[in-house]
Amino acid sequence: MTAVRAQPLVSQAKTQDVRIIDTDVHERAELYSLLPYLEPKWRKYITDFGWQPDRVLPYAQFAAGGLDREDAKLPDGRPGGSDYNLLREQLLDEYNIDYAVLTGWLDASALAPGWPEFKTALMSAYNDWQLENWVARDERILGSVHVNAHDPQNAAREIDRMGAHPEFVQAIVYIGDKAYGDPYYHPIFEAAARNNLPIGLHHSENSPTALGFHRYFVEWHTLVPQVFMSEIVSLIFNGVLDKFPTLQVIMIEGGTTYVPHLMSRADQQYKELRSEVPWVKRMPSDIIREQFRFSTQPTEEMSPEKFLALIDGVGSEDLFCFSTDYPHWDFDSPWEALPAGLPEGLQRKIFFENAQHLYPKMPALRAR
Amino acid sequence: MKQVVCKIDELGPGEMKPAQLGPIRVVVIRAMDGTLHGLAAKCLHQGGPLERGRLYDHTVASSDVGEYVMDSDREILKCPWHGYEYDIRTGQTVFDETRCLQTFTVREEGDEITVELGVPGAAGQAGSARASA
Repeated sequence: MTAVRAQPLVSQAKTQDVRIIDTDVHERAELYSLLPYLEPKWRKYITDFGWQPDRVLPYAQFAAGGLDREDAKLPDGRPGGSDYNLLREQLLDEYNIDYAVLTGWLDASALAPGWPEFKTALMSAYNDWQLENWVARDERILGSVHVNAHDPQNAAREIDRMGAHPEFVQAIVYIGDKAYGDPYYHPIFEAAARNNLPIGLHHSENSPTALGFHRYFVEWHTLVPQVFMSEIVSLIFNGVLDKFPTLQVIMIEGGTTYVPHLMSRADQQYKELRSEVPWVKRMPSDIIREQFRFSTQPTEEMSPEKFLALIDGVGSEDLFCFSTDYPHWDFDSPWEALPAGLPEGLQRKIFFENAQHLYPKMPALRAR
Repeated sequence: MKQVVCKIDELGPGEMKPAQLGPIRVVVIRAMDGTLHGLAAKCLHQGGPLERGRLYDHTVASSDVGEYVMDSDREILKCPWHGYEYDIRTGQTVFDETRCLQTFTVREEGDEITVELGVPGAAGQAGSARASA
C-alpha cells in the first residue's frame, strides 16, 4: 500500500510579514499601444505593413493558460501583465510586494538582428511607454531599460538616456542565439557600468537549446538553463567581467540549480586552459560570486536540506534573488516556492537583501 | 460542515464552481457523465487556485513517441499555474498517486448542490470521491 503524504490546506507562510523584492515581473504591451511613443516615421511599419516580432519557438506553451497563468489572463482576451489593476491585485497586494522590477515583453535583443534602426527606435518607445504606464503609476514598480543589443552603440545611448531615471534600476538584454561576451556587444556593458546599472539577462522564446529546438516543449523548457550557462561562460571567458570590474549581472528566469555545476566545471577548465584566455584574471567561480546574481524562479521542489546543499555548492548566501515571473504559467508563489524552514537570515537575503545590494538605485523599504 | 454550492442547473457537465468550507477552499466539478466531485482547491505544489484551472480528458501513457491517446472517461483538472494534473475522481496527481488532494462529498439535495466535510473521501484517501448525482 502506498503512503499518502500530508497536505497543508492552509498556507502558514501567508501569515509571515516577509519583505519581498520581486526581480522578474512581466508587464505586457500591445504593439499599437507603443505607437504614440514611436517616432512618426516608424509607425506605418506597424499600422500599414503589419510588422510583428519574430518568434522561433515551434511549440505552444503547454500549460493550462498557455504562456500565462490561466487566472492572470484578462476577461477581454488580453494576455497576462496587460492590466495594471490586475497585476496590482494578484501580485503587489496579494503578496505585499515591496518592489517589483519589470522585465517586460517585447525585447529586440532576442529577435533576429535585421533592421536595427527600427528595433532601436521601438525599444526607446517601449521604455517611454513603460515609464508612463507602469513605473510612474505605482511607487512599488521599478523599470528596466530595454535595448536592441544588435545595435550596440545606440543601445549604449539608450542606457545613458533611460538609465538616468531614478526608477529604472537595470538595463535588460534578452537572450536570443547570440553569445554576448563578443566584444561587438561590449559597449552595452560599458554603458551599464558607466551608469552604475546592473545588466539583467533574460531568456526568450528565441533562445535555443544546445541542439536547437527539440521535438517537445517539455524538452526545451527543461533545458532553458543551458542558454544561461552559455551566456555566463561567454561573458567570463571573453573578459567582460574583468574589463568592467564594477559591472553586476543578474541572470533572470534560469533558476539556480545549474550554478554549482557551472562553477565547478568552469574552474576546472580555467585551471587547464587559462592560457587561451589570459585576459581572464580570476577563477570563474570567484567572478560569479562577485559579479553575478540569479533570480530564483523557476524553482524546483526540494527539501530544506537540499536547498542548503545548493547554497553550500555555490559557496555564498548572496547570489540568489527572489522572483515570481508573474504573470507567466510557471509563476513562483512567494509563500510556497522556497522550502519551509530555511534559516531566517537566508530567507531575508533571498527575499530582499541580495536585491537591495544588487541594485544601487533600489529605494529603501518603507515602514509597514 | 456542509455548504450549498449552487443550484443544480447552475453546474453543467464539464463545469466547475468554487466553494468555501471553513478555511478550506473547495472546487466542485460536474464530470461529463453528470457525476459530482469535490476537491480541495489548493494545488499541492505551490497553492495554485484549482477552481481557476481547466478540465481536460486524460492523456493516457502511450507506447510510442508521437502517439496521443485520450481517455474521456478519466477527466483531469489541470492547475492554472504550473499545470499539475489531478484526477477529479480521486484527487490524485497523475504523476504520483501518493500525492492526493483532499476529496469531499458532493450531493444533489432538492434543487441544490451541497459539499460537505468529514465523510468518505477524507484527507488524502485514494479512490472515489463518493460523489452522487
